[in-house]
Amino acid sequence: MSRRLVLGCVAAGLAMLPVLAGSRPVVEWSFLVLLYAALAQSWNLLGGFGGQVNLGHAAFFGLGALVTRRLWLGGLPLGEALLAGTAAATAMGAVVGAPSLRLRGPYFAIGTLAVAEILRITVGNILPEVSALPATTLAAYALAPRYYLALVLAGAVTAAAWWLTRSRFGCGLVAAREDEAVAESIGVSVFRHRLVAFVLGSGFAGIAGGIFAYYHPSFYPSFAFNPLWTFDPLVIAYLGGAGTVEGPWVGAVVYLALREALALRLGELHLLIFGACFIAVVVALPGGVVQALRGLGGRAARPRRAAGSQATPV
Amino acid sequence: MRIVLALAIACLVVGLPATPGVGAPGTVARLGAVVPLTGRYASGGAQVKAGYELAVEDLNARGGVLIGGRRVALQLTLLDDESDPTKTVNRLEALAGQGVVVLLGGFGSDLHAAAAAVAEKNRIPYCGVAFALHAIHEHGFRYLFSPFEKSPEIASETYRFLNATIPADRRPQRIAIFQERTDWGRELGDIWTARSRENGYQVVLRGEYTPLSRDFSDLILRAKSAGADAVFSVPTPPDGITLIRQMKELDFSPKIIMMIRAADAVSWTQALGKDGDAVLLSPGWHHDLRFPGVRELNARHQQRFGRPADVIVGPAYACVQIAARAIERAGALEPRAIRDAMAATDLETVMGRVRFRPDGTGIVPTVFVQWQAGRQELVWPKNLGAVPLLYPAPPWRAR
Repeated sequence: MSRRLVLGCVAAGLAMLPVLAGSRPVVEWSFLVLLYAALAQSWNLLGGFGGQVNLGHAAFFGLGALVTRRLWLGGLPLGEALLAGTAAATAMGAVVGAPSLRLRGPYFAIGTLAVAEILRITVGNILPEVSALPATTLAAYALAPRYYLALVLAGAVTAAAWWLTRSRFGCGLVAAREDEAVAESIGVSVFRHRLVAFVLGSGFAGIAGGIFAYYHPSFYPSFAFNPLWTFDPLVIAYLGGAGTVEGPWVGAVVYLALREALALRLGELHLLIFGACFIAVVVALPGGVVQALRGLGGRAARPRRAAGSQATPV
Repeated sequence: MRIVLALAIACLVVGLPATPGVGAPGTVARLGAVVPLTGRYASGGAQVKAGYELAVEDLNARGGVLIGGRRVALQLTLLDDESDPTKTVNRLEALAGQGVVVLLGGFGSDLHAAAAAVAEKNRIPYCGVAFALHAIHEHGFRYLFSPFEKSPEIASETYRFLNATIPADRRPQRIAIFQERTDWGRELGDIWTARSRENGYQVVLRGEYTPLSRDFSDLILRAKSAGADAVFSVPTPPDGITLIRQMKELDFSPKIIMMIRAADAVSWTQALGKDGDAVLLSPGWHHDLRFPGVRELNARHQQRFGRPADVIVGPAYACVQIAARAIERAGALEPRAIRDAMAATDLETVMGRVRFRPDGTGIVPTVFVQWQAGRQELVWPKNLGAVPLLYPAPPWRAR
């Protein structure tokens, strides 16, 4: 079966899922997979391909969620609210990225984490009330439009990641990851490449936040800024394979399957078992599931045009 | 790519939320509960869990519920939400898709506030206790029921209790409200303040703090310098324990210390020892209340945990009693019919007679409990078996 045929089947299956799935939990779970895959992929743009560990991703997700939710519940059409949420997250990405990307190594990670925590605490202090959808909106609640929005987003952000593996810009980003000094010496503007990837990732995280705001019946605004919205995508990206296009998808499926299966069956023990399973996976598959499977399939040594882990720096 | 696809399908099969088996509907009445068994509310969630499990066991031992002349067993599925409202919602959604006919809530107003909308969206009746936030009942939700005291009752009853229990010349006059920066913290702070003057009290400080703070010294010193002789607060258990420790370190000894929610769990006295004594709480129930079934519940709890039923066990137990009766009155395992039956509840439970107002709040007694010598003692209402209030709270040095 060719790669394109498989991808086509998967895409068609995902598109038909709300129609074909007889069970609402299946659609609900698939929605979460799409949302987490999109968020992990948006983190992957800089974290995986660019090698810069951003620990403040929750800030952009939260900002997108907060702006979209408030505008939407305030009466603005959903599309406009989503656009505003995305614009806010993108602008915030530019404002945070410009100074923080001048920091190196752990200082960049700590700096971005600090931004997200400042936002979380500030939003929690200013907006402590739960944001619940009105009873009338809940009465007409339909999951399918939320699912398709998440599907479109996951497709778009994956296309962006795929573009990175095919474009000159993506090769520059990977080159900066592999050796910053060499990349600079051959004419790659490391800062500019990283800033573009950071802003792009922030914008996608903002849309993911906006879709979350459209999906969730009730949540506290500060919870959209919870560090889990940084660490879950990060874990998913590493679990699947950071710096690969398929990694966040595989990671999201494995992560959510494991987490929900354990949570639904093991009661309070689930966190303990999940932690042990996660450590075992990380130790056994340091390059992520995708790389391990490539190894199994004998593809590891096959030369590829793609960037990512097999990229050839320019 | 084939291997990736195979792995994805395998994970999908393993991970998808379990759906009820063939023939399951009708053979059991499925109740779904999402409770914080880990995280900041774990100690309270443990009591809720015990209450639900004991009630289901007791009801099943008596034959379950009677539906259309047929005895049907109750089946409880209980999941942990890790004290995280986002996970509360996700787990409730999973349960809603599994054919449960009643949803049962966890512990803490913020978790319930997040959960109520899920029940409404899925049109499944939701019964929650350990949840005093009133604002969520103002959203017009039809599937939300809470047989538990709410902020307006707690605030009014606080002053009624103090005025009826303490002679006028010895009463505290100057109140400091240590207000949690949450919707419930602000709601109760507002009502306590609004009703203070008409009851002869003065609020000398309303200081806000962020949940899970590590340093309350500024708040405590401001209360001390304002001459506060009573402290009202609704902290989480970790915050309550930190507050008491820092009040002791700063030698701030008010005559009345009310730590609603924080002092509910047995871990309070384990963490604080004598410093936890004299602290008041309003947990909605106590094992000394003289209502039908309380003695039997205490015996069962004693057998399993070595002590009479904890304060949240009773309301949780009552929730299952209410759900079971609603299922019987509905005569079918149909959530909408059960919702209508639940709205018409008029039932004697372990927390007394329970009825619901149109907004889903329960008409139930408001109680105050005080830690005395490492035990929780009922101190209000007097007509339901209360013991004398330990007043004033002994200074820290005298403990």
